[in-house]
Amino acid sequence: MRIIIRCFLHVCLRAGLAAVSFGIASTALATEEGLLSLHYDVAGKRLLKIEANQLFQRTDEGMAWNAITLPEDMAEGQLRAVSAPSTDPQTLYIAGPSIGVQRSTDNGETWQELSANLPSREVTALTVHRRQNETLYAVIAEDGIYQSGDAGTTWKKMDSGPSQKVNRLIHSNMDGSMQTGWLYAVSGDAVRLSMDCFCGWRPTGELDAGSVYDVAYDLDGPKRVYVATQQGLWRSENGGQEWQQIDGDGTVLVTLTLSPQGILYGLNHKGELLHSEDEGQSWTYPDA
Amino acid sequence: MKMKASPGLIPMRKRWFFVALWLALIVVGHAMAEDHSSSRDTPQLEDGKKVYRQYCASCHGIQGEGMPNWEEQNALGELPAPPHGPEGHTWKHSDAMLYRIVAEGWRDPWNKTDRLTMPAYQEILAPSEIRDVVDYLKTLWTQEQRHHQADESVDNTFPIQSEITLE
Repeated sequence: MRIIIRCFLHVCLRAGLAAVSFGIASTALATEEGLLSLHYDVAGKRLLKIEANQLFQRTDEGMAWNAITLPEDMAEGQLRAVSAPSTDPQTLYIAGPSIGVQRSTDNGETWQELSANLPSREVTALTVHRRQNETLYAVIAEDGIYQSGDAGTTWKKMDSGPSQKVNRLIHSNMDGSMQTGWLYAVSGDAVRLSMDCFCGWRPTGELDAGSVYDVAYDLDGPKRVYVATQQGLWRSENGGQEWQQIDGDGTVLVTLTLSPQGILYGLNHKGELLHSEDEGQSWTYPDA
Repeated sequence: MKMKASPGLIPMRKRWFFVALWLALIVVGHAMAEDHSSSRDTPQLEDGKKVYRQYCASCHGIQGEGMPNWEEQNALGELPAPPHGPEGHTWKHSDAMLYRIVAEGWRDPWNKTDRLTMPAYQEILAPSEIRDVVDYLKTLWTQEQRHHQADESVDNTFPIQSEITLE
């Protein structure tokens, strides 16, 4: 009897370990390969989702995700980023390795490639300036960060960027910058921050939370910043100088965004949409 | 048959000399324009250097080398004075921004103190002295950095005198 119990416990332990390992592995896979990304388009009042190399939208009123047509020649590429100007509901930008940067001004009916002036199409992250519709920032792998002030027609290298690989880049209009704002760069190990004059990358506060997946900030109060990590959600009230773990329901999200109404949206590693109306304390499926 | 130079015309050999001299002047002029970041001449750069040595060098270093560990907060929780040479980031700022920082001062928003670690010099230096010192800083950069900074300054130039007076 004792042997049977021991064998049973052994099997349970192994199964548990396997399940945990699988969970971590799939989360890492989802993030490292950039398969999942979420962005709230303020002008278009919609959520934009990247999943399995496709782009989807979901309006505030709608319950379903609708696919946005992508350029035909991007089958070889890997869609990593979507971003939209804050006051132009017609324009969308996408980017990714072998895709470069592309723009649509008719919600995906047509796309224009904007990589002619970039050194390569190996773009790993992209963001639009929070206040300037035509200012874009693109991260080129093993090269640096390029800025365009004319909606992608021309680009200029601004910085070599953090030495770590940048998976996400977000522009913020938080006060205190010498120029017009700040850029948050998310790497697997940390979130780093630079003024948008690129006068040095600074680490944000200590974040002992395993892999770092995504960052989002409050549009009405940009000093409030959220970061999604392997060990849950963390919040900062001072732009990332210090982080406090949100004592929530244990939900792990691999991508995160915030609506102007202060609703947090995230995708778990299965690509399921969750939202929180209480600053990340509790998460529910909006479709449920 | 030997050609005789007509009176009043420059002989062919002399003409080539003047053409060569003219080309040489163009090349030298371009080289000087490349070497100096602005059209301001050497006396003004010398003035800028003097201002730099009197007011800036005690923190930023006589050669613009900055303070040690300038990228990390010190014991007071302040970012130390950065270098102004190629290893720093001064060259990333436009003329307008550099003028403003010298005139109005600066503190890093993440500093733990409230004081301006970069003091405001608008009550101490004349506008022309601020421009001179900024132009002097440009001599510490690489050519590529000067080009970058000049690009950034196209739409963000030094304030014109009337703007400064109005303020």
